[in-house]
Amino acid sequence: MTGPTSELVLFQVGPRTFAAVVHDAIRIGSVRDVPAEDLVLETALGAPRACTRGIVVASHDEAVERTLVVDQVIGTRSVPEVQVQPLPAFAAACLTSGAVTGFVLLDGDPVLLVDLPTLVREHATSAAPV
Amino acid sequence: MAEPKEAQQPESGAQASAPEAWFFCLRLLGGRYAFEAPLVTEVVRLGPLTRLPAAPAFLPGVFTHRGEVLPVLDIAQLVGQGSVSLRPSTRAAIVHCGPWKVAVVSDSVEGLVAIPRRQLEPPPAESSGVAEFLSAVGRDRAGAIAILDLPRLVETARARAVPAGSAAA
Repeated sequence: MTGPTSELVLFQVGPRTFAAVVHDAIRIGSVRDVPAEDLVLETALGAPRACTRGIVVASHDEAVERTLVVDQVIGTRSVPEVQVQPLPAFAAACLTSGAVTGFVLLDGDPVLLVDLPTLVREHATSAAPV
Repeated sequence: MAEPKEAQQPESGAQASAPEAWFFCLRLLGGRYAFEAPLVTEVVRLGPLTRLPAAPAFLPGVFTHRGEVLPVLDIAQLVGQGSVSLRPSTRAAIVHCGPWKVAVVSDSVEGLVAIPRRQLEPPPAESSGVAEFLSAVGRDRAGAIAILDLPRLVETARARAVPAGSAAA
């Protein structure tokens, strides 16, 4: 493989597959021993069904870790950066979540690229008391 | 898969005395709707659609066309009058409206129609549903055509999705 590449982690929430930059994930593991208050269950990506695996994410502006609960972590992929595209301008302007930042073309199919820290921050903001 | 439909210019000569406006016509909401032809760059079949999380109903997803990811706009959803049935065979008109490039889906595509500008009439005075976005009403041999102000419609869609000043970070 030539040219710059992006290291991505692929995971599933419900029936859908998403991608995220590997560096945004601190670690991946079981959610069994994670305190409930640290779990991020329902997000803009939907709600997981199995709730067995977690991706530990550090938020942008907090010195805390949160565990995004997913159904399955498929693995990591090294993808040429030319296969990574931003969201179309109109779509970016219409989405109510800033966590979906673009697409990565895997085997010709577009897979949504997710900014994990933003996803976790949005969850915290929506859950915060008004 | 692509079906280029370059907007044509009206012919000179006999038509010079009756200048015609060219519109791109499609069937939607049980009627014939059109918008300014130069907005359309091509007509394509949708292919597989990728749905977006946290998207408004009028943005049912995106699809790839020649390596470019394009957003799909469902006008029927925007005006609250149902939705276009989306299949891989559904055709979409790719349009440029200011900074936005979107693929407008419809029940079927008619293509280019020419209507003498003097025959265009003001739209009905209604301000709800799709009538809110009409700029004129015309007629050709096949019947009446409602002319959409597509740039205003697209900008309104964007504004309704994310109220100004509260865009997602």
